[in-house]
Amino acid sequence: MIWEVFRQDEPGGYHTHCGNVHAPDREMALLFAEIQHARRKPTNSLWVVPQKEIASQTDETDRFGGTTDKTYRWVSAYNVDVEFAKEIEDSDREQRSVAGDSA
Amino acid sequence: MELQECKARAGPREFGPHDDLPREYREAATRMIQFHANSEIMGAYLERPFIRQSPSLDRKLAFSAKVQDEIGHGQLLYRAAESLGVKTREEMLDELANGEGKFLNCFHYPMTEWWETPMIAFFVDGAAMRRQATIKRTSWEPYAHAMDKICFEEGFHIKHGEHIMRELATGSRREQQLLQEAFEEWWPRILQFFGPTDDESTHHDFAAEVGLKTMSNDELRQAFLNAYLPKATEYGLEIPDEPRIREEDGRYVVEEDDLDWEEFWAVANNDYAGSHEQIDARASAHDAVAWVRATISGETA
Repeated sequence: MIWEVFRQDEPGGYHTHCGNVHAPDREMALLFAEIQHARRKPTNSLWVVPQKEIASQTDETDRFGGTTDKTYRWVSAYNVDVEFAKEIEDSDREQRSVAGDSA
Repeated sequence: MELQECKARAGPREFGPHDDLPREYREAATRMIQFHANSEIMGAYLERPFIRQSPSLDRKLAFSAKVQDEIGHGQLLYRAAESLGVKTREEMLDELANGEGKFLNCFHYPMTEWWETPMIAFFVDGAAMRRQATIKRTSWEPYAHAMDKICFEEGFHIKHGEHIMRELATGSRREQQLLQEAFEEWWPRILQFFGPTDDESTHHDFAAEVGLKTMSNDELRQAFLNAYLPKATEYGLEIPDEPRIREEDGRYVVEEDDLDWEEFWAVANNDYAGSHEQIDARASAHDAVAWVRATISGETA
Protein backbone atom coordinates (compact mmCIF):
# COMPACT_ATOMS: atom_id res chain seq x y z
CA MET A 1 0.00 0.00 0.00
CA ILE A 2 1.32 3.42 -0.96
CA TRP A 3 0.97 6.49 1.23
CA GLU A 4 1.51 10.05 0.03
CA VAL A 5 3.57 12.16 2.42
CA PHE A 6 3.06 15.83 3.28
CA ARG A 7 5.65 17.68 5.30
CA GLN A 8 5.38 20.96 7.19
CA ASP A 9 8.67 22.83 7.81
CA GLU A 10 7.61 25.15 10.58
CA PRO A 11 4.65 25.58 12.90
CA GLY A 12 1.95 27.57 11.15
CA GLY A 13 3.16 26.65 7.65
CA TYR A 14 1.43 24.55 5.00
CA HIS A 15 1.84 20.81 4.66
CA THR A 16 3.35 20.34 1.21
CA HIS A 17 3.63 17.12 -0.71
CA CYS A 18 7.15 15.68 -0.61
CA GLY A 19 6.86 12.11 -1.89
CA ASN A 20 5.42 8.71 -0.95
CA VAL A 21 6.24 5.51 0.92
CA HIS A 22 5.19 1.85 0.92
CA ALA A 23 3.72 0.75 4.24
CA PRO A 24 1.18 -1.80 5.44
CA ASP A 25 -0.61 0.58 7.83
CA ARG A 26 -0.88 4.15 9.14
CA GLU A 27 1.63 3.72 11.91
CA MET A 28 4.27 2.19 9.67
CA ALA A 29 3.56 4.81 7.01
CA LEU A 30 4.30 7.57 9.53
CA LEU A 31 7.48 5.83 10.60
CA PHE A 32 8.72 5.35 7.03
CA ALA A 33 7.70 8.90 6.10
CA GLU A 34 9.69 10.19 9.02
CA ILE A 35 12.77 8.18 8.06
CA GLN A 36 12.48 8.99 4.37
CA HIS A 37 11.40 12.62 4.39
CA ALA A 38 11.95 14.16 7.81
CA ARG A 39 15.39 12.94 8.73
CA ARG A 40 17.37 15.91 7.41
CA LYS A 41 14.87 18.50 6.23
CA PRO A 42 13.58 20.72 9.02
CA THR A 43 10.22 19.20 9.94
CA ASN A 44 7.55 20.24 12.34
CA SER A 45 4.80 17.85 11.29
CA LEU A 46 4.02 15.06 8.81
CA TRP A 47 0.82 13.80 7.25
CA VAL A 48 0.38 10.49 5.47
CA VAL A 49 -2.61 9.82 3.21
CA PRO A 50 -3.48 6.55 1.43
CA GLN A 51 -2.73 7.15 -2.24
CA LYS A 52 -6.01 5.61 -3.39
CA GLU A 53 -7.92 8.17 -1.30
CA ILE A 54 -6.53 11.03 -3.38
CA ALA A 55 -8.56 12.32 -6.30
CA SER A 56 -6.70 14.23 -8.96
CA GLN A 57 -6.95 15.92 -12.31
CA THR A 58 -4.34 17.48 -14.54
CA ASP A 59 -4.07 20.18 -17.13
CA GLU A 60 -3.95 17.51 -19.82
CA THR A 61 -7.66 16.91 -19.41
CA ASP A 62 -8.71 20.23 -17.89
CA ARG A 63 -7.91 23.82 -18.60
CA PHE A 64 -7.65 25.17 -15.07
CA GLY A 65 -9.19 28.61 -14.85
CA GLY A 66 -10.99 28.09 -18.16
CA THR A 67 -10.05 29.14 -21.65
CA THR A 68 -11.53 32.63 -21.80
CA ASP A 69 -9.65 35.83 -21.04
CA LYS A 70 -9.73 36.39 -17.25
CA THR A 71 -7.44 39.40 -16.98
CA TYR A 72 -10.20 41.26 -15.12
CA ARG A 73 -9.54 39.00 -12.11
CA TRP A 74 -6.00 40.23 -11.69
CA VAL A 75 -4.48 43.26 -10.02
CA SER A 76 -2.53 43.99 -13.18
CA ALA A 77 -5.74 44.96 -15.02
CA TYR A 78 -6.27 48.03 -12.85
CA ASN A 79 -3.86 50.87 -13.26
CA VAL A 80 -4.20 52.62 -9.90
CA ASP A 81 -1.80 53.39 -7.10
CA VAL A 82 -0.97 50.58 -4.66
CA GLU A 83 1.79 52.26 -2.70
CA PHE A 84 -0.51 53.97 -0.23
CA ALA A 85 -1.29 50.72 1.63
CA LYS A 86 1.25 47.99 2.33
CA GLU A 87 -1.30 45.17 2.35
CA ILE A 88 -2.44 46.09 -1.18
CA GLU A 89 1.16 46.29 -2.39
CA ASP A 90 1.72 42.81 -0.92
CA SER A 91 -1.33 41.37 -2.68
CA ASP A 92 -0.29 43.10 -5.91
CA ARG A 93 3.20 41.62 -5.69
CA GLU A 94 1.94 38.12 -4.82
CA GLN A 95 -0.51 38.13 -7.73
CA ARG A 96 2.08 39.43 -10.17
CA SER A 97 4.58 36.78 -9.13
CA VAL A 98 2.00 34.00 -9.64
CA ALA A 99 0.85 35.40 -12.96
CA GLY A 100 4.41 35.99 -14.14
CA ASP A 101 3.01 39.42 -14.89
CA SER A 102 1.50 38.00 -18.06
CA ALA A 103 -2.12 38.28 -16.96
CA MET B 1 -5.06 23.04 28.05
CA GLU B 2 -5.76 25.47 30.86
CA LEU B 3 -6.69 29.05 29.99
CA GLN B 4 -3.55 30.31 31.68
CA GLU B 5 -1.31 28.15 29.50
CA CYS B 6 -3.30 29.17 26.43
CA LYS B 7 -2.63 32.84 27.18
CA ALA B 8 1.04 32.18 27.88
CA ARG B 9 1.54 30.28 24.62
CA ALA B 10 -0.58 32.63 22.47
CA GLY B 11 1.29 33.77 19.36
CA PRO B 12 0.97 33.84 15.57
CA ARG B 13 -0.44 30.53 14.21
CA GLU B 14 0.23 28.89 17.55
CA PHE B 15 -2.91 26.74 17.86
CA GLY B 16 -4.51 24.20 15.52
CA PRO B 17 -7.16 21.48 15.50
CA HIS B 18 -4.83 19.08 17.34
CA ASP B 19 -4.55 21.30 20.39
CA ASP B 20 -6.86 20.72 23.30
CA LEU B 21 -7.96 24.32 23.79
CA PRO B 22 -10.07 25.78 26.55
CA ARG B 23 -13.75 26.29 25.85
CA GLU B 24 -13.35 30.08 26.24
CA TYR B 25 -10.79 30.19 23.44
CA ARG B 26 -12.82 28.05 21.08
CA GLU B 27 -15.97 30.07 21.68
CA ALA B 28 -14.24 33.43 21.23
CA ALA B 29 -12.51 32.27 18.04
CA THR B 30 -15.78 30.84 16.70
CA ARG B 31 -17.58 34.13 17.39
CA MET B 32 -14.85 36.13 15.63
CA ILE B 33 -14.49 33.89 12.57
CA GLN B 34 -18.24 33.34 12.20
CA PHE B 35 -18.71 37.12 12.20
CA HIS B 36 -16.02 37.43 9.55
CA ALA B 37 -17.51 34.63 7.41
CA ASN B 38 -21.03 36.08 7.71
CA SER B 39 -19.66 39.46 6.62
CA GLU B 40 -18.07 37.99 3.50
CA ILE B 41 -21.41 36.42 2.55
CA MET B 42 -23.49 39.52 3.30
CA GLY B 43 -21.01 41.72 1.41
CA ALA B 44 -21.28 39.46 -1.61
CA TYR B 45 -25.08 39.72 -1.57
CA LEU B 46 -24.87 43.51 -1.31
CA GLU B 47 -22.71 43.69 -4.44
CA ARG B 48 -24.45 40.95 -6.39
CA PRO B 49 -27.04 43.32 -8.02
CA PHE B 50 -24.16 45.25 -9.58
CA ILE B 51 -23.29 42.30 -11.78
CA ARG B 52 -26.52 43.24 -13.52
CA GLN B 53 -26.24 46.99 -13.00
CA SER B 54 -22.67 47.35 -14.23
CA PRO B 55 -22.36 50.01 -16.92
CA SER B 56 -19.91 47.99 -19.03
CA LEU B 57 -18.92 44.42 -19.77
CA ASP B 58 -15.54 44.90 -18.04
CA ARG B 59 -17.22 45.96 -14.82
CA LYS B 60 -19.74 43.13 -15.07
CA LEU B 61 -16.97 40.55 -15.34
CA ALA B 62 -15.03 42.09 -12.49
CA PHE B 63 -18.09 42.25 -10.20
CA SER B 64 -19.04 38.65 -10.94
CA ALA B 65 -15.45 37.55 -10.22
CA LYS B 66 -15.47 39.57 -7.01
CA VAL B 67 -18.80 38.19 -5.76
CA GLN B 68 -17.53 34.68 -6.52
CA ASP B 69 -14.35 35.45 -4.51
CA GLU B 70 -16.32 36.77 -1.52
CA ILE B 71 -18.58 33.71 -1.36
CA GLY B 72 -15.40 31.61 -1.53
CA HIS B 73 -13.93 33.61 1.37
CA GLY B 74 -17.08 32.92 3.39
CA GLN B 75 -16.70 29.19 2.72
CA LEU B 76 -13.00 29.20 3.72
CA LEU B 77 -13.84 31.00 6.93
CA TYR B 78 -16.75 28.73 7.86
CA ARG B 79 -14.27 25.84 7.51
CA ALA B 80 -11.78 27.64 9.75
CA ALA B 81 -14.56 28.27 12.30
CA GLU B 82 -15.95 24.75 12.04
CA SER B 83 -12.51 23.30 12.87
CA LEU B 84 -12.86 24.79 16.38
CA GLY B 85 -15.53 22.19 17.11
CA VAL B 86 -18.10 24.59 18.54
CA LYS B 87 -20.54 24.98 15.63
CA THR B 88 -21.04 23.30 12.28
CA ARG B 89 -21.18 25.23 9.02
CA GLU B 90 -24.85 24.28 8.76
CA GLU B 91 -25.57 25.85 12.16
CA MET B 92 -23.74 29.03 11.24
CA LEU B 93 -25.58 29.36 7.91
CA ASP B 94 -28.88 28.78 9.70
CA GLU B 95 -28.02 31.49 12.21
CA LEU B 96 -27.26 33.88 9.37
CA ALA B 97 -30.63 33.12 7.78
CA ASN B 98 -32.70 33.41 10.97
CA GLY B 99 -31.18 36.73 12.00
CA GLU B 100 -28.99 35.51 14.87
CA GLY B 101 -25.73 35.68 12.94
CA LYS B 102 -23.91 38.99 13.31
CA PHE B 103 -22.00 40.76 10.52
CA LEU B 104 -20.20 43.97 9.64
CA ASN B 105 -22.07 47.25 10.21
CA CYS B 106 -21.59 48.56 6.63
CA PHE B 107 -23.43 45.60 5.14
CA HIS B 108 -26.66 46.48 6.97
CA TYR B 109 -27.28 49.44 4.67
CA PRO B 110 -28.84 49.20 1.22
CA MET B 111 -26.60 50.02 -1.74
CA THR B 112 -28.65 50.77 -4.81
CA GLU B 113 -26.71 53.13 -7.06
CA TRP B 114 -23.60 52.55 -9.14
CA TRP B 115 -21.82 55.60 -7.70
CA GLU B 116 -22.13 54.09 -4.23
CA THR B 117 -20.09 51.02 -5.20
CA PRO B 118 -16.64 52.49 -4.43
CA MET B 119 -17.82 53.09 -0.84
CA ILE B 120 -17.83 49.34 -0.33
CA ALA B 121 -15.39 48.25 -3.02
CA PHE B 122 -12.70 50.76 -2.08
CA PHE B 123 -13.24 52.11 1.45
CA VAL B 124 -14.94 49.21 3.25
CA ASP B 125 -12.88 46.54 1.48
CA GLY B 126 -9.79 48.64 2.14
CA ALA B 127 -10.63 48.81 5.84
CA ALA B 128 -11.34 45.07 5.86
CA MET B 129 -8.07 44.28 4.17
CA ARG B 130 -6.14 46.43 6.61
CA ARG B 131 -7.68 44.36 9.40
CA GLN B 132 -7.27 41.06 7.56
CA ALA B 133 -3.56 41.66 6.98
CA THR B 134 -3.13 41.72 10.79
CA ILE B 135 -5.10 38.46 11.14
CA LYS B 136 -2.39 36.62 9.19
CA ARG B 137 -0.76 36.59 12.61
CA THR B 138 -3.76 35.28 14.54
CA SER B 139 -3.23 32.37 16.93
CA TRP B 140 -5.80 30.04 15.26
CA GLU B 141 -3.76 28.57 12.42
CA PRO B 142 -6.66 27.62 10.09
CA TYR B 143 -7.87 31.24 10.32
CA ALA B 144 -4.40 32.54 9.39
CA HIS B 145 -4.24 30.14 6.44
CA ALA B 146 -7.60 31.40 5.19
CA MET B 147 -6.20 34.93 5.45
CA ASP B 148 -3.24 34.06 3.20
CA LYS B 149 -5.59 33.27 0.35
CA ILE B 150 -8.08 36.04 1.11
CA CYS B 151 -5.43 38.76 1.20
CA PHE B 152 -3.92 37.41 -2.02
CA GLU B 153 -7.24 37.87 -3.82
CA GLU B 154 -8.38 41.03 -2.10
CA GLY B 155 -5.82 43.27 -3.87
CA PHE B 156 -7.82 43.00 -7.08
CA HIS B 157 -11.03 43.99 -5.29
CA ILE B 158 -9.63 47.18 -3.86
CA LYS B 159 -7.79 48.20 -7.02
CA HIS B 160 -11.00 47.60 -8.96
CA GLY B 161 -12.89 49.72 -6.41
CA GLU B 162 -10.38 52.52 -6.74
CA HIS B 163 -10.58 52.25 -10.52
CA ILE B 164 -14.35 52.86 -10.39
CA MET B 165 -13.83 55.73 -7.97
CA ARG B 166 -11.24 57.33 -10.25
CA GLU B 167 -13.58 57.00 -13.21
CA LEU B 168 -16.35 58.78 -11.32
CA ALA B 169 -14.04 61.36 -9.73
CA THR B 170 -12.64 62.33 -13.12
CA GLY B 171 -16.01 62.03 -14.88
CA SER B 172 -18.75 64.57 -15.47
CA ARG B 173 -19.56 67.15 -12.81
CA ARG B 174 -22.75 65.25 -12.11
CA GLU B 175 -20.80 62.05 -11.48
CA GLN B 176 -18.41 63.91 -9.20
CA GLN B 177 -21.34 65.33 -7.28
CA LEU B 178 -23.07 61.95 -6.92
CA LEU B 179 -19.81 60.42 -5.72
CA GLN B 180 -19.48 63.17 -3.10
CA GLU B 181 -23.07 62.58 -1.93
CA ALA B 182 -22.47 58.85 -1.64
CA PHE B 183 -19.28 59.55 0.29
CA GLU B 184 -21.08 61.83 2.76
CA GLU B 185 -23.74 59.20 3.36
CA TRP B 186 -21.29 56.33 3.83
CA TRP B 187 -18.41 58.10 5.60
CA PRO B 188 -19.78 57.84 9.20
CA ARG B 189 -20.51 54.12 8.68
CA ILE B 190 -17.01 53.61 7.33
CA LEU B 191 -15.56 55.34 10.41
CA GLN B 192 -17.62 52.98 12.56
CA PHE B 193 -16.26 49.94 10.71
CA PHE B 194 -13.67 49.37 13.41
CA GLY B 195 -16.28 49.57 16.15
CA PRO B 196 -16.30 51.65 19.28
CA THR B 197 -13.26 52.91 21.18
CA ASP B 198 -11.28 50.23 22.96
CA ASP B 199 -12.79 50.68 26.40
CA GLU B 200 -16.27 50.01 24.99
CA SER B 201 -15.34 47.04 22.84
CA THR B 202 -16.81 43.95 24.48
CA HIS B 203 -14.60 41.21 23.16
CA HIS B 204 -11.22 42.79 22.50
CA ASP B 205 -9.37 42.13 25.74
CA PHE B 206 -9.81 38.39 25.73
CA ALA B 207 -9.24 38.06 21.98
CA ALA B 208 -5.98 40.00 22.34
CA GLU B 209 -4.86 37.95 25.35
CA VAL B 210 -5.18 34.68 23.48
CA GLY B 211 -3.65 36.06 20.29
CA LEU B 212 -6.77 35.96 18.12
CA LYS B 213 -6.50 39.70 17.49
CA THR B 214 -3.17 41.41 17.14
CA MET B 215 -4.27 45.06 16.91
CA SER B 216 -6.93 47.03 18.74
CA ASN B 217 -9.86 48.75 17.02
CA ASP B 218 -8.30 52.16 17.65
CA GLU B 219 -4.95 51.19 16.16
CA LEU B 220 -6.68 49.75 13.10
CA ARG B 221 -8.88 52.80 12.62
CA GLN B 222 -5.78 54.98 12.86
CA ALA B 223 -3.89 52.88 10.31
CA PHE B 224 -6.91 52.98 8.01
CA LEU B 225 -7.30 56.76 8.23
CA ASN B 226 -3.60 57.33 7.61
CA ALA B 227 -3.87 55.51 4.30
CA TYR B 228 -7.42 56.21 3.13
CA LEU B 229 -8.20 59.76 4.22
CA PRO B 230 -5.47 61.21 1.96
CA LYS B 231 -6.85 58.97 -0.82
CA ALA B 232 -10.32 60.48 -0.52
CA THR B 233 -8.82 63.95 -0.71
CA GLU B 234 -6.66 62.97 -3.67
CA TYR B 235 -9.82 62.14 -5.63
CA GLY B 236 -11.32 65.51 -4.82
CA LEU B 237 -13.73 64.23 -2.17
CA GLU B 238 -14.47 66.70 0.59
CA ILE B 239 -14.34 65.20 4.07
CA PRO B 240 -17.64 66.06 5.81
CA ASP B 241 -17.41 68.54 8.72
CA GLU B 242 -19.00 65.97 10.97
CA PRO B 243 -17.86 63.71 12.47
CA ARG B 244 -15.00 66.03 13.37
CA ILE B 245 -11.55 64.63 12.77
CA ARG B 246 -8.59 66.43 14.37
CA GLU B 247 -4.96 65.93 13.57
CA GLU B 248 -2.89 65.55 16.70
CA ASP B 249 0.84 64.78 16.51
CA GLY B 250 0.44 63.19 13.10
CA ARG B 251 -2.53 61.11 14.28
CA TYR B 252 -6.16 61.48 13.25
CA VAL B 253 -8.51 61.66 16.18
CA VAL B 254 -12.19 61.05 15.44
CA GLU B 255 -14.67 62.87 17.68
CA GLU B 256 -16.55 59.79 18.80
CA ASP B 257 -19.55 61.74 20.09
CA ASP B 258 -20.28 62.95 16.56
CA LEU B 259 -21.05 59.40 15.47
CA ASP B 260 -24.43 57.75 15.99
CA TRP B 261 -23.66 54.90 18.37
CA GLU B 262 -27.32 54.16 19.02
CA GLU B 263 -27.66 53.28 15.35
CA PHE B 264 -24.39 51.35 15.49
CA TRP B 265 -25.61 49.14 18.36
CA ALA B 266 -28.98 48.62 16.68
CA VAL B 267 -27.05 47.47 13.61
CA ALA B 268 -24.73 45.32 15.73
CA ASN B 269 -27.77 43.53 17.17
CA ASN B 270 -29.41 43.05 13.75
CA ASP B 271 -32.14 45.40 14.94
CA TYR B 272 -31.88 48.12 12.30
CA ALA B 273 -34.45 48.40 9.48
CA GLY B 274 -31.71 47.69 6.94
CA SER B 275 -30.58 44.64 8.90
CA HIS B 276 -33.91 42.88 8.39
CA GLU B 277 -33.94 43.86 4.74
CA GLN B 278 -30.45 42.47 4.06
CA ILE B 279 -30.91 39.31 6.13
CA ASP B 280 -34.30 38.52 4.60
CA ALA B 281 -33.10 39.21 1.06
CA ARG B 282 -30.18 36.84 1.57
CA ALA B 283 -32.40 34.24 3.24
CA SER B 284 -34.84 34.24 0.31
CA ALA B 285 -31.99 34.01 -2.20
CA HIS B 286 -30.69 31.07 -0.18
CA ASP B 287 -34.15 29.42 -0.15
CA ALA B 288 -34.57 29.96 -3.88
CA VAL B 289 -31.66 27.64 -4.60
CA ALA B 290 -32.57 25.02 -1.97
CA TRP B 291 -33.29 22.63 -4.87
CA VAL B 292 -29.64 22.88 -5.97
CA ARG B 293 -28.41 21.87 -2.54
CA ALA B 294 -30.98 19.07 -2.34
CA THR B 295 -29.94 17.78 -5.75
CA ILE B 296 -26.27 17.81 -4.83
CA SER B 297 -26.72 16.03 -1.51
CA GLY B 298 -29.16 13.57 -3.08
CA GLU B 299 -26.55 12.57 -5.61
CA THR B 300 -23.78 12.02 -3.12
CA ALA B 301 -25.90 10.35 -0.43
